[in-house]
Amino acid sequence: MYKLFLKIATRYLLKNKLYSFINIFGLAIGIASFVLIMLYVNYEQSYDKFEGSENVYRAYMDYLEGDTFVAGDAQTYNSTGPSLKEEFPEVLDYVRLFYFEKMTFQLGERILEEPLGSLADPSYFDIFNYPLLKGEKEKVLSQPYSIVLSQSFAQKLFGTEDPMQKTISAFRDGEKAILTVTGVMVDMPKTAHYRNSFLISYETEKTWTYYGTEIHELNWNANNYYTFLKLDPNANVSLLRQKIMDSDLEQDTEEQHNIEPLEDIHLYSDKPYEVSANGSVTRIKFLTAIAFIILILSWLNYVNLSATKSMERAKEAGIRKVSGAQKSQLILQSLIESILLNIIAISISLVLVAITLPLYNAVTGKELSSGLSNISSFLPYFLFILLGMILAGLYPALLLSSYSPAKALKGKIQTSTQGLAIRKGLLVTQFLATIVLLIGTIVVTKQINFLESQPIGTNVNQVIALKGEVITAKADSLLINDYKVLEAELKRLPFVEKVAIAQTYPGDSFDNLSSTRGISLPNGKREEDKLFYTYHVQPDYFDLMDIEFLAGGTFLASSEGKGRQVIVNETFLKNMGISSADDVLNKTLGFWGYDEWRVAGVIKDYYHFGLKSPVLPMIIRYQSDVSNLLVKLDPSAASLSGIESSMSQIKLVWTRIFPKSTFNYTFLDQKFEAQYKEDKAFGSAFQVFTVIAILIAAMGLFGLTSYTVVQRKKEIGIRKVNGATIPQVLALLNKDFVKWVGVAFVIAVPVSWYTMNQWLEGFAYRTTLSWWVFALAGISALLIALLTVSWQSFQAAVTNPVDSLRDE
Amino acid sequence: MLLELNNIFKWVNSGGQRIFLLKDINLQVEEGEFISIMGPSGSGKSTLLNVIGMLDGFDEGEYNFLDESVHTLKEKHRANLYKEYIGFVFQSYHLLDELTVQENLEMPLLYKKYKGAERKAMVADMLDRFNIVGKKDLFPAQLSGGQQQLVGVARALIASPKLILADEPTGNLNSQQSAEIMELFKKLNQEDGVTIIQVTHSEKNAAYGSRILKLLDGRKV
Repeated sequence: MYKLFLKIATRYLLKNKLYSFINIFGLAIGIASFVLIMLYVNYEQSYDKFEGSENVYRAYMDYLEGDTFVAGDAQTYNSTGPSLKEEFPEVLDYVRLFYFEKMTFQLGERILEEPLGSLADPSYFDIFNYPLLKGEKEKVLSQPYSIVLSQSFAQKLFGTEDPMQKTISAFRDGEKAILTVTGVMVDMPKTAHYRNSFLISYETEKTWTYYGTEIHELNWNANNYYTFLKLDPNANVSLLRQKIMDSDLEQDTEEQHNIEPLEDIHLYSDKPYEVSANGSVTRIKFLTAIAFIILILSWLNYVNLSATKSMERAKEAGIRKVSGAQKSQLILQSLIESILLNIIAISISLVLVAITLPLYNAVTGKELSSGLSNISSFLPYFLFILLGMILAGLYPALLLSSYSPAKALKGKIQTSTQGLAIRKGLLVTQFLATIVLLIGTIVVTKQINFLESQPIGTNVNQVIALKGEVITAKADSLLINDYKVLEAELKRLPFVEKVAIAQTYPGDSFDNLSSTRGISLPNGKREEDKLFYTYHVQPDYFDLMDIEFLAGGTFLASSEGKGRQVIVNETFLKNMGISSADDVLNKTLGFWGYDEWRVAGVIKDYYHFGLKSPVLPMIIRYQSDVSNLLVKLDPSAASLSGIESSMSQIKLVWTRIFPKSTFNYTFLDQKFEAQYKEDKAFGSAFQVFTVIAILIAAMGLFGLTSYTVVQRKKEIGIRKVNGATIPQVLALLNKDFVKWVGVAFVIAVPVSWYTMNQWLEGFAYRTTLSWWVFALAGISALLIALLTVSWQSFQAAVTNPVDSLRDE
Repeated sequence: MLLELNNIFKWVNSGGQRIFLLKDINLQVEEGEFISIMGPSGSGKSTLLNVIGMLDGFDEGEYNFLDESVHTLKEKHRANLYKEYIGFVFQSYHLLDELTVQENLEMPLLYKKYKGAERKAMVADMLDRFNIVGKKDLFPAQLSGGQQQLVGVARALIASPKLILADEPTGNLNSQQSAEIMELFKKLNQEDGVTIIQVTHSEKNAAYGSRILKLLDGRKV
């Protein structure tokens, strides 16, 4: 019997090609989108998982803001780990990590830069349970001047040779250390928020640099270390957390320690000084919602189409009933058909996933695989798809089996008003989802445009930051002289407009700002609990970056005590309760144990980190440095080939002055844009999946109208015979759809207004939810619906009534 | 006695008025009879046939089929009853478009718990008997009207019912095809003892039967 059922189903699908195509492809696209989104969601949820990871927590700092503590710093003191372990028996162990964004290594004559590394306590491999390929986990980091390499870094350095016990030189702030390779670890997965390509034993810090001994002393002054704790699996974590918050380890009422699970960092943490940009649980929630909306849309489509189609198959059901089929057998047959259709759709969707995955990975910047490795985590979704498939098949099955055979055989099947109401409901739900997604897309796009078009108070275009590690035995002061030479040489290049040296620049990582508390203001007040951020630059910086002054001007290079000049921003004044720039200009501030910082100028606020985070209160100091040399190119060098040749000339100058060095450059505009990368990816994902959802909805609508039109063929014929014009017939057929879009729109507006406000909350500066956003979405949905429907309505309207009435 | 209808009434309510479709119908059918129901359009011929075939209910009266009182049976029992004893032939054949001739014949057997080999044998037998072996892999759309109705009759007969109900079986056929089908019915009735009740407009077709039942406005005349 099943064989025959399958046979008849297959023939039916082949015969009704349009119907099958719409149904199968609607489902396939829906399922493929669902799978792709959920692959991404799963990936984002799989961060920092290894054996024992559930017991690993990160300590971080809360800072007092007003009268509540807020998450203030992902980094902690070097005393944090030891003190927590001593105070709380639940803390079994700790590891402190000092992060290097990149480091320069020298092996023989080869100089190379490697990103992502850390100073790490010997307990590292005990807490981060990543396998070691060579070396013993207790010993690899126990001695100073030890280094553990990742497999691929080891290969890069030593090729196929055994790296163990070999030595390499590493440079920190120009000071060299000779390190011995004591271990090789596996490459850390991309799903780790804190990835290391090399680990240097923590003790090395003490003697590496001239300031090493001082910073290495246990202290509560500089919180530059990430501290990870291994907790007792039986510990009451919420209690411990409270105890840690209540404890006053560093005896500072302005701050407190706190802990958070390692596994939550990627999705839930967005603190200052994060080691890398984290994901966002809001985005994950939104994407999950989109995934389910699309899947449900395609099921609704399926239900709607099959239900409509089942009227056409009423005769068949009637014949079967007359031939002795029981209701349950008819239901079973219909279910088998829908399962067959779903299996085809699922197969096609898997092919679609396999085809689009590389592209998808390129867009999302992730390494998703459709492999079997994560099949267990996907099982619930597959069960969900299965369940939905059966539910979606059940409605048409019940509908079909319920027809009375005598009526069905006469072809007198009219849908009950109830059935019609259900289908209208389904259609309204489809429109609702479509309009909500449309509004979402428009808002996301609008916000991203807003982020990109808003004046940021500085000009990052055609600015390049040159940075490299110079391997030399020279003292810092002499190196600075070399930089001065470099500056002068670069200025002589025809396409270089301006040059300036700066510690950091807009869009650079948070790590390059120092956060400080405790300042004496010119009005004699001492402000202890307000945080401010500081970095240092040379005088030309403001001119080069087009940062405007409200009062005063840039640093005076010639003035006496020039290193004690500062420039503050508007937000700094506002935060410190200073109403006028004149109240600070040429007056002095006191911080860092020095009371005579003279305020040379007040700048207008600029967005150091884009518009996602609020402007920070900033003090910019005057100090020579060798970290970044900013170069502003002449607009004439802006074309691609121009930039290429400019860069090679700049590199020539650089290597002439620093023959032994690495050379790196960053385009500031690209780096600044990169801050919005995840949001843009989210935006494009939103757009793509909205288009898919609309496509599915339109396909369903198309299918549905084609049957409505067939059903009403006779009515249309009669109306036309009685004098109805084509526009009148069109209006008749389209009226209902307009009404349904209207109903959906009324529901969609508050739903999307609420959800999109939630999303916008994640931005410090946000666009408005203007009325036209909703209007545009509503009108678009209406147009899409009308276009889809009218194509067929028109066909029906122009048909000669003689044809439609003849076969009666 | 094969079946017996006593004082059957069937009506619909329309605009506060009760419209009778069947009015006080009494009918006894013996096994082996060949009855033709005649009457003008709307006289209730098809309704009566549907009531006899248990596809339609009625509002008043008694219906006994092989000593079972149909009016008191539950839907499922009723279905079992007609599944076992009744075969239908329709004016517009009502073959399943997606199935071949062979499969169309097999279809009713699927619902009657025959084994695969048995079904094959029965289908083969029927194809043979109706001389349509050569057409067994064709789809209904590839057959002429007369051939389609031949398949329709074969399908109605395949499970060896006691009673064949035919609703204007030749209504869509030309006179020659018509005659062939009627000859077939006559042969089935006389040689195999199958009871046949047919609805027809044509006196010529009615003449094949042993008895004629005339209806007017739902009433026997």
